[in-house]
Amino acid sequence: MIFLNINNLSVSIEGKKILNDFNLTINQGEIHAIMGPNGSGKSTLANVLAGNEDYEVDSGKIMYKDKDLLDLNIEERAQRGIFIAFQYPVEIPGVKITPFLQASINSKLKNENKPELDRLSFAKLLRKKAEDLGINSEMLKRSINTGFSGGEKKKYEILQMSVLNPEFTIFDETDSGLDVDALRIVTEGINNFKNNNNSFLIITHYQKLLNYINPDHVHIMRNGKIVKSGDISLAGEIEESGYQNF
Amino acid sequence: MHSKEYIFSDHAILNNKREKIFSKLIAKNFDKKNNESLKNISFSDLSLFDYYYKPSNKKSFVISNDNENYKIKIVNGIVKKYKDDKIEVRNIINSDSNRFLEQYENNLDDLVIDFNKIFLNSGIFIDIKANSKISLNLIYENDHNHTIFQNNFLNFQKNSKVKLIEEFNLSHNTINNINCNISAHEGADIKHDIIQDFSYSNKLYLTTNTVCEKNSSFSQNTYNFANGFVRNFHFAKLNGEFSKACLKGCFFLKGENICSNKTQVIHNRENCESNQAYKGILNDNSKANYYSNTVVSENAQKTEGYQLSKGMLLNDNCNFFSKPELRIFTDDVKCSHGSTIGPLDERSLFYLRSRGINKNQAMKMIIYSFVEEDLKNLDNNIAERINIYLSDYLMDLV
Repeated sequence: MIFLNINNLSVSIEGKKILNDFNLTINQGEIHAIMGPNGSGKSTLANVLAGNEDYEVDSGKIMYKDKDLLDLNIEERAQRGIFIAFQYPVEIPGVKITPFLQASINSKLKNENKPELDRLSFAKLLRKKAEDLGINSEMLKRSINTGFSGGEKKKYEILQMSVLNPEFTIFDETDSGLDVDALRIVTEGINNFKNNNNSFLIITHYQKLLNYINPDHVHIMRNGKIVKSGDISLAGEIEESGYQNF
Repeated sequence: MHSKEYIFSDHAILNNKREKIFSKLIAKNFDKKNNESLKNISFSDLSLFDYYYKPSNKKSFVISNDNENYKIKIVNGIVKKYKDDKIEVRNIINSDSNRFLEQYENNLDDLVIDFNKIFLNSGIFIDIKANSKISLNLIYENDHNHTIFQNNFLNFQKNSKVKLIEEFNLSHNTINNINCNISAHEGADIKHDIIQDFSYSNKLYLTTNTVCEKNSSFSQNTYNFANGFVRNFHFAKLNGEFSKACLKGCFFLKGENICSNKTQVIHNRENCESNQAYKGILNDNSKANYYSNTVVSENAQKTEGYQLSKGMLLNDNCNFFSKPELRIFTDDVKCSHGSTIGPLDERSLFYLRSRGINKNQAMKMIIYSFVEEDLKNLDNNIAERINIYLSDYLMDLV
C-alpha cells in the first residue's frame, strides 16, 4: 500500500504558483521533516494536504492509502486519519473544547463504522490524555484556543492529535513562538504518540525541534519543490550556513 | 377619527392632538430621508392597511396557582381583569387618558408611534405591588386579519423583583403596533425576555419606553426568530441615581425577512450604567438595521454606557446596516461603542472541518458560539425554548 505519494503537484493561490512539480513519498511509520526559507511553499504544502479550499491545485496527484486525496474534502481527509497541527491555531470563542473534540472523534469513528463514544467515555479518555500532557482539566472547560498563550495553543494541538489518533500528522511550524520548556513538552508529546503505524511531516525552520524528534528524512524546499533530501545532518548544515548553498 | 372603536375617542385634547398627527401624516410633513423609523420599511408599508379590529375577552386569562408565577393571555389587546396582593391587571380605561397624554410630550418623533396614537384600540395596565417577587408571562394572541394598536402600561412598584417574559402567538395576516410604557420605581429589579416567533404574514412593531428610578435595574433581552417583519425599538431613561438599563437582542433572519432595530438610553442622573447590544445572523436575502444611541445629560456624571453591534452574514445577498451613536454632554464618563459585521469566519470553519466535523455542523457550531454568551444566563425553560428555535433556524441553513 502506498501511504502517501505526492506526484508532480503544482499549486497556486490567486494566480501565483507556489508549488511547482512537487514530489514526495512518505511510508508508514516514517518521520519526514521539511525545511526551507520563507516563501518556499512549506505552509502551502501543509494546507493543500489538509484540504484548504483557498488553494488551487493546477496539476499533479496525491495518493494517500491508495486513494486520491484530492477527491476528498477537508473533513473527509480528517476522518481518514489526516491531522494538521497549525502554526497559528485559531481562537473560536464559544465553541467549547470538550464537545468539539467529542464531535471530532465521533465523526472519525462513524466513518470507520465503529461505535461512537458517549459523553462519559469520552470525558474519561480526554482527561487521561490531558493528564499525560500535563494539561489542567480546567483548561478543557474553555473555548477552543480562547485566551490561551502561544505555548498552550500548541500543547492543545498535541492533545487533539493524541485524542484523535491520526495516522498522518502534519506539523506546520509547530515550534514557532515556543520557549524551551514548551518545546520540550510538545516534542515529548509527539515522541510518546509516535509508533510504527503513524507517520509525520514536520515543517520547521529550526534544527532544535528535529534534535528532539529525530526524523528519518530531512528535505530542503526552495521555490515550491524539494531541492535536496538527506538525513538529520542536513538540518545541521542549514543551521551552520543557511539556505544559500541549496 | 371619532369612532368608538378607538380608545379615548371622546377626549377632546387627545383628539385634537390625534388630528394634528393625522394631518402631518396625510401631508407627509416629516423628514423622509433621515427618518430612522422608516429604515427598511416604506411609508406605504406603514400606512396602507385594512383596519379591522374586534375586541374579544373570551379567550384571555390570568392564571396563578402559587401567587408567584403568573401567566396572562392577551387576546386582541384585551385582558381579563385580575387583582391580588401582588398584582393588578386590567384594560386601560378613560381615567388613564392623562398617562396617555404624557406620552405626547415624552415620546420621540416616530411614525410608527404616530400611527399607534391615532388608531389606538386597546391597551393593558399591569401594576406590580411594592416588594413583590414574581414571574410574569405575557402571551399576546391575536386573531387573523386584526390590526392591533395597543398601548400598555407596566408599573413596577418600589423594590419589586420581576421576571417578565413576553411572547407573541400571532395568527396570520395581523398588524401589531404595540407601545409599552414601563416604569421601574426605586429599587425595582426587572428581567425582561421577549420571544418573537411567528409566520411571514404578520407584522410586529414593538416599542418599549422604560423609565428607571433610583437603584432600579431593567434588563431586556429580545430574541427574534420571526419570519414576519419585526421592528424592535426599545428606549430607556435612567432618571434615578445608580439605576441600570440593559437593552440586548439577537435576531435570526432568513429568506426575504426584514427587521429593524433601535435602542436608546438617556442618562439623566449620575452613577448610572447602560448596556446596549444587538447581534444578528442573516441568511439568504434578509435585511436588518440597528441604531443604538447613548445620551449622557449634563448632570449625569460617572456614567458608564456601552454599545455593541455584531452581525454575521451567511450570504452575499443579505444586508445589515449598523449605526452606533454617543452624545455626551458631561466629562466624567466611561462610554464605548463597537460594531462588527462580516461573514462567517472561514479560518474557524477550516479549523473545525480539519478535525473531521462536516461543514454544516461546523457552521452551526460557529453560529451557536456567536450567540452563546447571550443564551447562557437564561432561565432553563427559556433557554430550552430558545435552543429549539435556534436548532430550527440552523436546520434550514445548508
